[in-house]
Amino acid sequence: MTLSPVQIYWLTIPLVVAISLVYSASRHESWRRIWGHSFRLCLWIMGILIGATAVLLVINTQV
Amino acid sequence: MSEPTVNLRNPSLAALLAWAVPGLGHFYQGRTGKGILYAVCILGLYTIGMVMGEGKIVYWRWVNPLSNPEKFCLYYLGQFFVGLASLPALIQGTLHYFGFQPILGGILAEPSQNVLNALNSRLNKLVEIGSIYTCIAGLLNILAIYDAYEGPAYLEVEEPVAERPVEPAVPSGGIPAEGSA
Repeated sequence: MTLSPVQIYWLTIPLVVAISLVYSASRHESWRRIWGHSFRLCLWIMGILIGATAVLLVINTQV
Repeated sequence: MSEPTVNLRNPSLAALLAWAVPGLGHFYQGRTGKGILYAVCILGLYTIGMVMGEGKIVYWRWVNPLSNPEKFCLYYLGQFFVGLASLPALIQGTLHYFGFQPILGGILAEPSQNVLNALNSRLNKLVEIGSIYTCIAGLLNILAIYDAYEGPAYLEVEEPVAERPVEPAVPSGGIPAEGSA
């Protein structure tokens, strides 16, 4: 099984979802708060990852 | 108002069960929903990682990390916390160290260098990503173990029913206040 470099980026999604769900579940007992916290955390992590990737891409194109 | 509590039963046993099988400690405590969530997330990550690495990325060898850092299995430090699913690697590594043959059909035994080289050249980045998946699965289980032992970090007090401001029992017509006549 081989994946192109672009396809490899999709593999971050299950990782981020699992991390945010497990982390939130360890903080709260109420399901409403677990879902809410994990959703926000997921957005934060994805946002930071996408931002960092964009910055690195811009730097790479300038070099 | 009394704060809600979570019945952790025997926290030490729950933590041990949570290490052995992710989610099992929470099932033992009767926290079924959380047990399912932990089991699906942690075992799911571990399984996906193992599939990516064709089952050859979880192994352990006894070497000194200071004198031989290239041979040291850093990822296994995280993978170990997935529990029974990764424990055979430690057993096989220990048997190999003492010169015994692998048991259980060689499951999670250290692959030969030729096999590892072939795997890396054929799967390329997937080996690394699979190792990261399985390692993070173990690290996440540390959170689950701690949750089984200590309970959640925040125990929310149930939100009180919204209290309406107390209105004076005055008919709609109103009674004129004293001195306003």
